[in-house]
Amino acid sequence: MIRIIIGGFFLLSGLFALGIATLGMYRYSTMLNRVHVAAKCDTLGALFMLIGLIIFSGINFFSLKLFMVLLFLWLSNPVASHLIARAEVRTNTNLHEVCDFIEQENLKDDVNN
Amino acid sequence: MLIIEWLLLIFLIVCAVAVSITKNLLNAVIIFMSYSLVMSVIWVLLRSPDLAITEAAVGAGVTSVLFFLALRRIGQMQRDNDKNKKISEASKN
Amino acid sequence: MNDGLKKFLLDFYNWVTGNGARTENEDAMTELPPVLPFTMEPDKIQSRFHEKTLQERRKDWINLHGLSVFSILYRSFSIITCVVIVGLLLITVSELPPFGDENNPANNEVIDRYIKLGGNETGAQNIVAGMILDYRAFDTFGESAVLFTGAVSVLMILSAARRKNDEPKNKLHSGFNDRNFLKRAPPIHELKDDDAILRGVASLSIPAIILMGCVVIINGHLTPGGGFSGGAVLSTALILCANAYGFKKVHEFFNERTYIFSSSSALLIYALSKGYSFFTGANHIESGIPIGTIGNIFSAGLILPLNICVGIIVAGTLYGVYALFSEGEI
Repeated sequence: MIRIIIGGFFLLSGLFALGIATLGMYRYSTMLNRVHVAAKCDTLGALFMLIGLIIFSGINFFSLKLFMVLLFLWLSNPVASHLIARAEVRTNTNLHEVCDFIEQENLKDDVNN
Repeated sequence: MLIIEWLLLIFLIVCAVAVSITKNLLNAVIIFMSYSLVMSVIWVLLRSPDLAITEAAVGAGVTSVLFFLALRRIGQMQRDNDKNKKISEASKN
Repeated sequence: MNDGLKKFLLDFYNWVTGNGARTENEDAMTELPPVLPFTMEPDKIQSRFHEKTLQERRKDWINLHGLSVFSILYRSFSIITCVVIVGLLLITVSELPPFGDENNPANNEVIDRYIKLGGNETGAQNIVAGMILDYRAFDTFGESAVLFTGAVSVLMILSAARRKNDEPKNKLHSGFNDRNFLKRAPPIHELKDDDAILRGVASLSIPAIILMGCVVIINGHLTPGGGFSGGAVLSTALILCANAYGFKKVHEFFNERTYIFSSSSALLIYALSKGYSFFTGANHIESGIPIGTIGNIFSAGLILPLNICVGIIVAGTLYGVYALFSEGEI
């Protein structure tokens, strides 16, 4: 009983995070904002959903598989978002009009200073 | 489970119509990718995991990458800067 | 030689070269006939302007309304065709027997045989693998051959374009080279190989992906999957390696020569082991490999090596097509 309650709580919070991701995709208009929302909320939502499913199924081989899925998602999803954002920064010519950002060379200088 | 199956089938039909309607080729490829993904879930629900694995790896992964590369080669993936200007002006206002 | 013949020869030579004096007849023929003045009564001209013939009216009408009428006709015909095809398909679907019924025509003696005797005859726990690599092995051979042929034709086209572009350009044909667009993709996103995040994650995940692909291939006769799926997974590992570390790194262990050698030798092994069914029909020839106990990895006769062959072909071909399209060479 208590397992169902805790698992349901995790599933609902995962749904909440994914819903916020969907809302943010409609709310924001520029690309970097959208990538930000999608990456963070998707990663968190996947974490909550998979933890909820692991709690539902208990400790067995199936939950080990779910844990592997979680590990792979946490490896791949942020990297994919990082690559998309990097492609956007490199190809968009008038990005300075949309937002303020520091070039990579300037970033190195800042770190050195 | 039946409701999920119906929802997936409806999404499949919407995707299939949207691919043929969409003018932008890049958007069409992305919609086709989601079509393949939903199709692989439906294969799992129809209890044929062999096809599901193949569909997810080939349909959603490799085929889309090849489509992207083909679009890049024929020069259809150019960024239209007018749209970006419009967005930046709208954000300024 | 008398004078007459000489004169005739001279005249003939002048006639051939066109230098001789012209005869009177020729001069008369060059005069043009006198041009008659254009005469038409003014009321006739007026009538011409006012009364159009039926053909002229038709032409005018087509010029004015032809495009819109054509578009309306085109749309209506396309809608009618769509509706007719959709209606036919829906009628066919409604005539189909219900899903999962026991008395369907699909549930005939073939499926009985596959389910009851498939395990004992082929030794495969996964009945699908037993079907596609034992009963229907020749179809799978055709699929692999088609994949290999496609990759080789892409290789031929793109390498021909590369060689043509490497030559010094001919002035006459420089404008007419329709393969110029194949030379190099437009530099939209020049990927530098300095992304530390991608490299770190790739070094973690590439071994896992390769392990997954090998497991899917080797367990093809026990669990769902098989050569095709595992080969696709392996090719994604190669593509990720090429994206993270650059194509030069992949060239060190997988280049054009390796691809051609591995794929054609895998195809040859497949053809030698299963090609006889093209001549003998459905007759089965014993391979000599024992079936073994169902459920072990070393069981099911020829299915395991055939799975490995298909996996090698698919992995090499998918990565090869990717590399050809993005870089121009494997």
